[in-house]
Amino acid sequence: MIQIYRALLIQAFQQMAQYRVAMFLYALFSFIRPIIFLAAWLAVAESQGGRLGALSSSDLAAYFVITIVVTHATQAWDFFEFEWEIRQGRLSPKLLRPLHPIHYSITGNILWKLQTSLAVVPVAILIAITFDARFTTTPSHLVLGAVSTALGAALAFTFGWVFASVAFWTTRVHAVVTLYQRAAFIFSGQIAPLALLPGPLLAVAYALPFAYMLGVPSDILRGGPDIATALLMIGGQVVWLAIAIGVYRIVWSAGLRQYTAVGA
Amino acid sequence: MDRYLRLLRLFVRTELQFALEYRVNLALEIMQMVVVAGTSLAAVLILFAYTEVMNGWTLGQMVVLLGVYYIVQGVEELVMQPSFQKFMEHVRDGTLDFILLKPVSSQFMVSFRHFQTVQTLQVLLGLVITGLGLAQLAATVTLTSAGAFAFTLACGLVLIYALLLVLSTLAFWFVRVDNILAIFWAFIDAGRFPIDIYPGWLRITMSTVIPVGIAVTVPAKAIAGLVDLQTVGLIFLATAVAWMVSRAFWKRGLRAYTGASA
Repeated sequence: MIQIYRALLIQAFQQMAQYRVAMFLYALFSFIRPIIFLAAWLAVAESQGGRLGALSSSDLAAYFVITIVVTHATQAWDFFEFEWEIRQGRLSPKLLRPLHPIHYSITGNILWKLQTSLAVVPVAILIAITFDARFTTTPSHLVLGAVSTALGAALAFTFGWVFASVAFWTTRVHAVVTLYQRAAFIFSGQIAPLALLPGPLLAVAYALPFAYMLGVPSDILRGGPDIATALLMIGGQVVWLAIAIGVYRIVWSAGLRQYTAVGA
Repeated sequence: MDRYLRLLRLFVRTELQFALEYRVNLALEIMQMVVVAGTSLAAVLILFAYTEVMNGWTLGQMVVLLGVYYIVQGVEELVMQPSFQKFMEHVRDGTLDFILLKPVSSQFMVSFRHFQTVQTLQVLLGLVITGLGLAQLAATVTLTSAGAFAFTLACGLVLIYALLLVLSTLAFWFVRVDNILAIFWAFIDAGRFPIDIYPGWLRITMSTVIPVGIAVTVPAKAIAGLVDLQTVGLIFLATAVAWMVSRAFWKRGLRAYTGASA
């Protein structure tokens, strides 16, 4: 398996080395939205005397800067690629190979993130300085945060494949994915630190999986919650990841059974 | 002029017929638009759960602004985006020659040939949201403020058109410019909030290089009667200049075009 992954990684690297401009554009996309909402929350905080509950302006800046990096690290985009492969009939030959298609996707995902982090991380640092972000991260936060980010990435990736599998039935997944992404928009911590979601929304956010993909790792990396709370949140991530993997297996095998190539 | 209007009507009709062929898809797209706009509105409400005024903007004004944002984005996705997208494909595939041979203005053919008719609904949705915001404001829309709104909105759209024309024209030299257009997409997202909340560099980008900020923020202020005549005049001037520059650039690009295999 290690050998297979080495080969796949080299292949993915060679493919991606061709798209250097795309990389920098990608970095641009990754920081625009966090800055938009950071600016909005800073304006709100200013109207309240520079603080919102427990969060100061510098805490808000730290949170949104961290989301740039975490969004980048946890991103999954397989649904559209998968839809395209099904529509173009490219999935069928892949299914005949001895290796499950998910492995190609895992290596591609990891490599793309490693490469683009060359552009994303400096941008995040620059923004942190510009907005005077203040981190209260301790070494244990850093370790837990790294674990949490990895779990968040795995969770987002698995859900990505669940929704990709919908294409077995519908071929097109755009509508479903939009619903999924807009739910994430509200509940994942993209538009506000989780703590700022008003009452019932916060409870819903912790019950749904989205917060565990972005908001939770970001909060931990920022040094927000204490260690006990952080561990509890990571527990939540593990539960959701287990559920996601279970759902993925069911959906994938059911989908595969009734899949016929376009034109069959 | 008459001929161009007739052509325009024809283009819209064929595109509408095309869209109606895929009814389920159409229904799903409408559903997506409503969900996207609804969640954006929810984001504004969440922000205003903590304050009455955000950098001088009240909730009502912010909702108006969001409405204008969807109007602008709707128009942009209704005709500019699909047309320029197709134009770049034509350059790449070498099929632009057929368009250049047609006995009408090539700029017209390139800019208005393709419509995503379903986006009309996004424009309508934007109008509805604007109306909601105005109701919240309890602002009386006077004839002057309505006029200023329509005028600045039109100017803003022309500004965006000019920018997209310039960016697309680059295709004559570089062929693949999708990436450059992607920069535009990244910045249009920032139009959902008033440009005055952004840090200096982003505010400047949004009001000069990528004029989405102007196209959205100024009309939203105008309808509430917060824009003076001087600003309107200034924007009109900028629009006129942008229009002429982009047109000259297009003509220059056209001369540089040699066809795919020439």
